[in-house]
Amino acid sequence: MAKKFNVDSNVYIILYSVVMVVVVAALLAVVSLSLQGRQNDNALNEKKQQIVTALGEDPLTTDYDSIVAEAVMLDASGNPTEGDVFAALQDLKGSIAAGKFPVFKAKNGCVVIPVYGAGLWDAIWGYVALEPDMNTVKGIVLDHKGETPGLGAEIATPAHQAKYVGKTVFEGDDFVSITLKKGGANPADANYAHEVDAITGGTKTSDGVTEMIRSGLGNYLPYLKANKSNN
Amino acid sequence: MSNLKNVTGPLSANNPVIVQILGICSALAVTVKMKPALVMGLSVIVVTAFANLVMSCLRKGIPSRIRIIVQLVVIASLVILVDQFLKAYVYDVSKQLSVYVGLIITNCIIMGRVEAFALGHKPWDSFLDGVGNGLGYAAILLIVAFFRELFGSGTLFGMQIVPESWYIANGGFYSNIGLMLFPPMALILVGCIIWIHRSFNKDLQEK
Repeated sequence: MAKKFNVDSNVYIILYSVVMVVVVAALLAVVSLSLQGRQNDNALNEKKQQIVTALGEDPLTTDYDSIVAEAVMLDASGNPTEGDVFAALQDLKGSIAAGKFPVFKAKNGCVVIPVYGAGLWDAIWGYVALEPDMNTVKGIVLDHKGETPGLGAEIATPAHQAKYVGKTVFEGDDFVSITLKKGGANPADANYAHEVDAITGGTKTSDGVTEMIRSGLGNYLPYLKANKSNN
Repeated sequence: MSNLKNVTGPLSANNPVIVQILGICSALAVTVKMKPALVMGLSVIVVTAFANLVMSCLRKGIPSRIRIIVQLVVIASLVILVDQFLKAYVYDVSKQLSVYVGLIITNCIIMGRVEAFALGHKPWDSFLDGVGNGLGYAAILLIVAFFRELFGSGTLFGMQIVPESWYIANGGFYSNIGLMLFPPMALILVGCIIWIHRSFNKDLQEK
């Protein structure tokens, strides 16, 4: 090259951009595709662990398959129907909108119901495990995408989730769900059995959890009521 | 040996956060707890180091008119790579960081160092400069997170440090400082760190 190459010519700039974009796109596509399997396994594994945790067992020592008897898809009236349950978990909102409601039946008669909702900043979701009476909360797992650490994000801590255990979602035959009460649940209150302490400084997130549990379990009312009367 | 200055300089005398005042925004967001602060620090070290390395290798061929765009593409790609690897290999941690990984792209330290250093220096020096600045950033993040988590939540890395029996709820005298959990407290803490740092480094003090 005798003449000095002009790096500021228009042709060079356009060529440079095109090559750069193609190289970067190819690189990212290859990495994304090669890691996809692992990422999906991680996501699925995490869901199974959360189901085990909701049932009150330690996912490190208890295997999903050893505690969950079957994963069933229900229709709007609570009858079993066709459908891939774990695929539905990937897109719970879409699945429920399509009238398909996944539920996990444990070997001891408990059921785990996946719920989703909105926190202050982003999506929140969880798994509510009910005792065989379909009324008492056996355990709950809550998780979030981007709530404020130390405030709203506290919903994901075991300390907060322990407060739900033993609470009931029915008052007689009426569905009342569980409310996160600002200022703290008071044992003297008539609704104490359906209330837990809200997160201090996380009121919006707490309201989101209340709404998520109410609407989430509400979708399963036909199923819950049908099985409740059996007990 | 002179290479080493690139790493040690940004730790104190030329620290990106408390001397260059870069990257303050994320210092507010991820310092409520130690663990996200640590992973954020590590991720930023990786991204600054490799962004500097790549840009330094490319520096002679980049058309100066689209320089910033090229920097953005390189940095954004690196951040996406880091995010994908975190998701595949350390899923827990990637969940902890959630949106903050993406925010590394907007961290002024990275573009600042690419623009100010990597475009004018050799690849190895630039790589070390990136590592040094990442370390300097991580160090400040961890100091701020230490105080915020200890006084705001009574824990460190999620482990209870303040004895449970001290809390008012358990009949004690102590309660966590709620203000520590809010972003303004990170600014106040960074201010305190700058104050202490400058009182030990007289040459940084403005007349």
